[in-house]
Order: sequence, then structure tokens, then C-alpha cells
Amino acid sequence: MSDENKEIRNDIKAPKSTADSSYAAKAVMSEKDLKKTAAAQTVMQILVKFLVYAFLIIMAIIVLFPFYWMINSSLKTLSEYREVVPTFWPRKIMFSNYLEAYNAANLGRLFFNTVIVGVVSTLLSLVITVLSAFAFARLEFKGKNLLFAGLLATMMIPGELFTITNYTTVTNLGWRNTYTVLIVPFLVSVFYIYLLRQNFLQIPNELYLAAKVDGTSDIKYLWRVMIPLSLPTLISITILKMMGAWNSYIWPRLVANDEAHRLITNGLRNAFKDTTGDVNYPVQMAAVALVSFPLFLVFVFLRKYIMKGVSRSGIKG
Amino acid sequence: MVDSKQQWKAWLYLSPAIVLLLVFTVWPIINTVRMAFLDNYSGLQAAGGETFSFGIENFTRVVKARRFIDCLRNTMLLCVLTVPISTMLALLIAVTLNSIKPLQKTLQTIFFLPYVTNSIAIGMVFAAMFNIVGSFYGTDRQLVTTAGIINNVINFFSTTFTGKEAMVNWINIGSAYRENIIVMTVYIVWNALPFKILILLGGLQSINKQYYDAARVDGTSRTRVFWRITVPLLSPMLAYVIITGFIGGFKEYTSIVGIFGENMGPANDRDRLNTMVGYIYDALENNNQGRASAAALILFGIILVVTLLNLYVSKKRVHY
Amino acid sequence: MKVVLEHVTKRFPNRDKKVKTEVTAVNDISFEIPDGKLIGLLGPSGCGKSTTLYMICGLQKLTEGRIFFGDEDVTELSPENRGVGLVFQNYALYPHMTVKQNIMFPLENLKGADKLTKDEMLERTLKVAKLVQIDELLERKPSELSGGQQQRVAIARALVKMPRVLLLDEPLSNLDARLRLQTREEIRRIQRETNITTVFVTHDQEEAMSISDQIVVMKLGVVQQMGVPQMVYNDPANLFVAKFLGTPPVNVFRGLIKGQALYIGNEKICDTPGVSDRGVYVGIRPEGFIFNPNGVLTCDFKNVEVMGGAISIVTGHADSESPIIRATVMDEVRIPEGTPSVKFDIKPNKLYVFDKETEERIYF
Repeated sequence: MSDENKEIRNDIKAPKSTADSSYAAKAVMSEKDLKKTAAAQTVMQILVKFLVYAFLIIMAIIVLFPFYWMINSSLKTLSEYREVVPTFWPRKIMFSNYLEAYNAANLGRLFFNTVIVGVVSTLLSLVITVLSAFAFARLEFKGKNLLFAGLLATMMIPGELFTITNYTTVTNLGWRNTYTVLIVPFLVSVFYIYLLRQNFLQIPNELYLAAKVDGTSDIKYLWRVMIPLSLPTLISITILKMMGAWNSYIWPRLVANDEAHRLITNGLRNAFKDTTGDVNYPVQMAAVALVSFPLFLVFVFLRKYIMKGVSRSGIKG
Repeated sequence: MVDSKQQWKAWLYLSPAIVLLLVFTVWPIINTVRMAFLDNYSGLQAAGGETFSFGIENFTRVVKARRFIDCLRNTMLLCVLTVPISTMLALLIAVTLNSIKPLQKTLQTIFFLPYVTNSIAIGMVFAAMFNIVGSFYGTDRQLVTTAGIINNVINFFSTTFTGKEAMVNWINIGSAYRENIIVMTVYIVWNALPFKILILLGGLQSINKQYYDAARVDGTSRTRVFWRITVPLLSPMLAYVIITGFIGGFKEYTSIVGIFGENMGPANDRDRLNTMVGYIYDALENNNQGRASAAALILFGIILVVTLLNLYVSKKRVHY
Repeated sequence: MKVVLEHVTKRFPNRDKKVKTEVTAVNDISFEIPDGKLIGLLGPSGCGKSTTLYMICGLQKLTEGRIFFGDEDVTELSPENRGVGLVFQNYALYPHMTVKQNIMFPLENLKGADKLTKDEMLERTLKVAKLVQIDELLERKPSELSGGQQQRVAIARALVKMPRVLLLDEPLSNLDARLRLQTREEIRRIQRETNITTVFVTHDQEEAMSISDQIVVMKLGVVQQMGVPQMVYNDPANLFVAKFLGTPPVNVFRGLIKGQALYIGNEKICDTPGVSDRGVYVGIRPEGFIFNPNGVLTCDFKNVEVMGGAISIVTGHADSESPIIRATVMDEVRIPEGTPSVKFDIKPNKLYVFDKETEERIYF
């Protein structure tokens, strides 16, 4: 044992001397060489830093450019827009494009419809989500785990598969071209139930039992304890749901594409059917800007909640 | 300890969700499978009292239809192009973003901005950027009045470095399939970046900094650190963004409507860029529920296979 | 490899960005680490010991001062050009690599003339694995190892490229008490066998005292004292060092120098020739008390604690800095229950006098 150890020791020492010789080579490295190595390091670091920033800033410009171009174009006169050499800031700022766009696309009506659908469906959806999440998180009943697993399984299936039958269902129910058809079919989101349930589970069960001992009703307990404690999740859900209404396109186009009930995205696409060729782009871009603007406001003020919700969901809208 | 009071209370609280799910989720699953296996099922004819025989004709017809094959090809092509490009770009941005201190928060916000946009609306902006006003037949450039900012930029570099003008017909009448696909790829990548950057950056920030210090002490080169430490430690997040990227990619539809309108292609070639989802909706609008259902089930099958394949690969490759 | 620190200072910008002032983590320290020795950097948390280690390593840049390895000025060199090995507090083993891959990783980075073939790498990996006795675990992942095993892998990874200096950051703090004793002997053994100059950081004085050739005691970014552990223990330079080293800790009294003699309360303890009159702190090691019914210091008796071979007489005193005084004596002493007070003589070499204002040692 000791012999073996000794051998290992020698082994370790022996190559060490060779390694040391390479270090020794560095050790006898003149002052000048040392400075050179140090300088090379510094130059390398600065160069890499420069490249990193250059890359990020170029990418940021690419990301931002469409927004800038949208605003720039929306403020030009049609003739300025058509110039061969583009101008990067309008010579004459045409706010009137926005008025024209607002009227052309009947944006007032579209905003109104979208807000109604968004607010009502968000509120109802929150109630359903909170009640279901509470049942799954706090109550004991037969078949709970089976039911929950079944719900999660439906998340795997692409929405298009439901749409086909739902289209027939809402037609048979006579819901076509109503607000109902835009609100009811999507009230239940399995994912939001799942998200909130996880959140509820983190709240200690003792709080619920204590409330039961004090004779607090379930609803009051939900309202006073559970909801305040899971507010960030509820806010994330609200924002994503509202954004969903704002951005939904396929379903509204299928079932409610009349003047009275049309939502914003459809309205926009309908009002400006042509995307290529000789289009009045300034007005079109003004309309796009008007539609995008509320989203930017939400982004600026509620960015934290959106990012939190998104990083857990991975679902757009 | 299941007391009966909790039992009925639980079902009471769950009832709205269950009723809605039964009507709008469970029934559609059953019904879609049923319609898919009833030959040439049509809702309109069914209402007229017609009956349909059981069979797989919907599937065979869909698979043989040229239109469906085109849609499938477009979808696959866009998936195969956009998922790797956007993942790599997002990884590069996330890694570089994670390595800087000043401006990090600002840039992070900028990179997330495209997420909160309406894909139809911003598609219209992209269309404007690529669009050419005036006739364009390659030679007679006199007719072109506005070439679109993208062409202006390309032209600027082209004339500066080669002295030749270079204008490309991206999306207008007479544009080529390849150019259309490039435009779609650029737009979809632009749209897909924010989510991927968010997830990857979150993953990077949760990696212990000491791994990097340890690698530095050992004199590991930047490329080796990237491939041997960053990528393996990030592999769960990478697998996640790739899987969600593929699922999203197979359901691509609105971004094409955004750029090309409901025409789904340049003005002279309707439906050239149509996708699987587009095919399903077209069949539905033509009252061809049988075929729509079959196509939807095929889409589901493809997504399932791709997801399982991804999971299988990541099981082998994803570390811990 | 000798390591020399010359007037090394590290200042960090204040964490609160609004405050312009900087925080000085390490303030003008200078010391020399002799070749092939094991040095413990010791101090309470926030004393700058880890910062000092990271500066030796090259992960932190110096604000002022120079660091030399031998005669070579490495101040401006980045870590990979210094030839150091570093073991992190939580080991920082790559979770996705096996033990073998982890140990081999630094070797794969070598470039140019130092480049090794696969076989050479494997050979060196096996050798170092044997040295730290983990050669049976090479195919495991870090998550399948115990804390002590992970520690060995981390040391192996630091040693495999044969560093000129080995640095260990709190190497034992993540281990349980039993493993800690075992591992510190292990570190001592590995250091002896490899003979690499080794610096380790710890806040545990017992750990530092037990295995270091020399210890460096730091407080608030300033070196308080450096030397062989026993010497520093027996001859502390100031009140902080005296208090920081030793378990049970030194007993501190408020005292007075009057007419060239030291008083605690009204009792004269000893003569202090040549020391002018002033207020002082008096430190007495627990083993510095001699139980003697005619002793010079009277303490209020509380109780007796038996600790194997020795016993601790627990007492109190009006001028003591802490409520209890511990005196460690041999166990033939018997004190009847209910005794109101006990008297001690004090061993002169276990008694230290410190100035009340500066807390520096007063020699006499």
C-alpha cells in the first residue's frame, strides 16, 4: 500500500516537473513577454465585447425596424411614400392618415366589439378557472386525479381539431354572428386551470382548515385568501386572455364576420384586402399602428406579468 | 377522508368547466374522428338526411389531393427552415445578451417586443417593406416607382459593391416560390424570436456562474465553453423551444394571411403558400367536414410523431 | 512556487448605485506564501478572504498592488495564463459530464506545445484519480456521488493540469461534521504528496489551525496576523486574533494598568514593568487558569462541565466581557457544590494584555 502510494506520489511529481518546465518557460518569460501576453488578453477582451455589442445592436435594429417603418410610413403622404428613394422621416407629417384609417376600417366599432368580447370572456374565464382550480387544489372527490389527467391530455390536441365540430355546433345553436359565439367556446382553458392549481397548491392547506374552523365560507376564503395570494398569476392570465381576444383571427372569421360583431384583427384584414401592388400604404400602416398601439401600452406597463406568464405557458395569446 | 359535502361542492365548482369542455372539447374529439371515417361526410348533406358509409376514403382522398400535398410541403418547408434558424439565432442572442451588463435590460425588452404584436397587423408591415409598387418584369425598371425598403437596402449595397442594380420581386405578381418562402421565413423567424430568447435567457440565467469561472481558470476557449458547457446545461430549454417551435410551425397560418392576405399567395397564384391549417379551414368552408376532419387528424398525427421523436432524441441528448 | 502579494487592494462599486462611494473589500495587504506550503486564509465572513483568493486566481482584478508567482508578475494575467487550480465552495462539477470527463476537461483545453494525446490525458486522469482515491468512480455522474466524493473530484480536476498554485474556496463547508474531519486530513495528505503551494479559505479557525503550515488571519480586508498556527494562537497580535482563535474562546476581562501592575477589579494579577497607566483588555486562555485556593483572581463559581480528560470550571466575574468564564483544568480538581467563589492563578504565557483604545497587544 505504502509502496503503491509512493509510486503514485513519484508519478505525480515526475510529470509535474515536466509541466513545471513549461511553467518555468513562462517564468523566465521576460518582462516584455509578460506585458505582451497581458496586452493580448486585454485586446481580445475588448474585441469580443465590441463584437458582442455590435451583434446585439444590429439584431435590435432589425427587430425594431418594422415598427419604425410602420410609423414612418403611416405619417407620409401617398406621394412621398411612392418616391423611388425612400425618406427616413416624413417631410410633412400626416396625422390625417390616422383619421382616414379609423374611418375606412370602421375601427371604432371594431375596438368596441373587441373590448366587449375581451372583457366579458376574461371575467367569465377567470371565474371558471378559479373555481375549477380551487376544486382541484383543495377539495377531495372521487375521480379527481383521473379527471385532472384527462384535462391535461386535451392540451396535446391541436385546436383545429375542435374547430371543425364547434363550427357545426354553434351553427346549430344559432349562435352565428353573435357575441356569444366569440366568448363561450373558449371560456375554459385547461392550461390556466393547471397554472392556477399549481399556484393554489403552494398556499398551505392549514390556512383553509383554519378558515373552516372559523366557519368561513369557501367563497369568502377564496376571495380573501386564495385570490390575493395568487394575484400575479391571475394578472398574467388576464393579460394573455385579453391579448388573445385582440389577436384572434381564425375563429371569428369563420363564425362572426359581419359588420356588427367583427373583431379588430379581422376588421383590419378585411378593410385592407390587398397587401401587394399599388396600395394606399400610409393609411394602411396608420390602421396597423392604431391596432398595435394598445398592445404596446400593455407591453410597456405590464411587461413583467406577460413575460412571467409566457415563460410558463409558451402559448401565444 | 372524502366527505360527501366536499364531493358535491367539488362537482358544483367544476360544473361550468365540465359542461363547456364536454360540448366544445370532448364532443368535437369524438365527432371529428366519426366524421373522418364517414366517406365524403358533409354537414350540409347530413342535415338533408343523407347517410354516409364507414370508410377511409376521406384519408385517401386527402393524401392524394395535390392541394393537400402542396399544403403539406409548404408547412414542412417552413418548419424545417424556421425552427433551426430561429433557435440558433435566439440562442446566439440569449448567450451574448447574458454576457453583457450595461444595456442588458433595455435590449432584453426590445427583443421581447415582437411577442406582443398582432401577427396579421405586423405581417401587413412586412408586406409593405417587401412590396414593389408599379410593374416589375425584371428588365424594364422604369415602371417601378417604389421598390420597397428591403429592395432599396439590397440595391444600395449591390450598387455600392458591384455597381449593378439588384431588385427582387419578393411577393408581387410574378414572384417566384423561392422568394415567397424567403419572405415567410424572415417574418416567421422574426415572430418566433422573442419567445425563444425569453426561455433561453431564463435558462442561461439559472446556470451557476461558477461553471464559467471554473472553465475560465482552466483556460477553456469561448467556443468550447459554448459547446461543452452552455449548450449541454441549456439542453432542457433548447428541447422545449424546439418542440414548441415545431408544434407552432405545423399550425402556421395567420402569418401567411398577414403577408399575402386570404389569397395565401401572390396575386397570380392563389393558395400557393397555403398550409395544413389553411387546408382544413378551406375544406370546412366548403362544407366538406369529412375531409377537414381527416386532415385535422393527420395534422395531429404529424405533431404527435414529431413531438415524440423530439422527446426521444432529447432523452438521449438532453443532460439530466 | 512562491506567491507574493504586494499592497493588494480591491474596491467594489457600491451595490446601491446611487451611492458613489466604493466598498473596500481588501485593503493594502502584503504577504508572502512560501513554496510548497499549505496556507489557510482565515477570517469571519466579509473579511475579504475569498476576494483575496479570487485575486490570486485571476478571476478578480486588483484595484491596486501586484501579485507575483515566483519572480513573475502575474497581476495582469488572466487565470488560464497563471497556471492555477481552483476548487469552488460548491465544487462546480459539470453535471452533464462523468467524473472522468470532468477531470479530463482542463487537459483538453491545453493548446500548442502543451497539447496532450488522448492516451496521455487518460493516463494523467487515472493518476490523479488514484491520488485522491476516486479511481473506482470514474464513470459516475456528479449527482451520483456523495459530498465528500464530489469534493475529491473537484480537487482532482484542479490538480490534473499540475497547477503552480492550488486554491481552495471553503473546501469543507458543504460537508457534514464527520466528513469534514476526514476530508481535511485528506487535503493535507494530497498537499504533502504533490507539494503544490496551496491556499485555502475558511471561516473555521479549528479547520485552519489543524492542517495549515501557516495561517493568515484577516478582518475587514486587512491582514491581522500571519504565522504558524500554534505561534499565532500563543502570541496573538491583537484582541481580534486572540478572540478569533481557539475553542473554547479566550476569556476577556476589563482591566487596568496602575503603577506598572495589572489589575482586574481590585485584584492585582501581575507586574507589568515599563507599561504606563491606562485601561486595558485582558485575554486569558481557558487553559491559562491554575486552580489555587490562594490564587490572584477570584471568580463567582457557577458549575463544572466534564469533557472527557479535562473539566471546565464555569464561573463569572463582574469585569468579564462575557457572562461566563471558562477555565479548563485537569480533572483531579474537586469543587464542592454551592461554593460561592473560586480562585485561580494565571499562567503568564496564556495572559495577553491589549490597549483599550487600539486593541493592540501590549508586551511587557
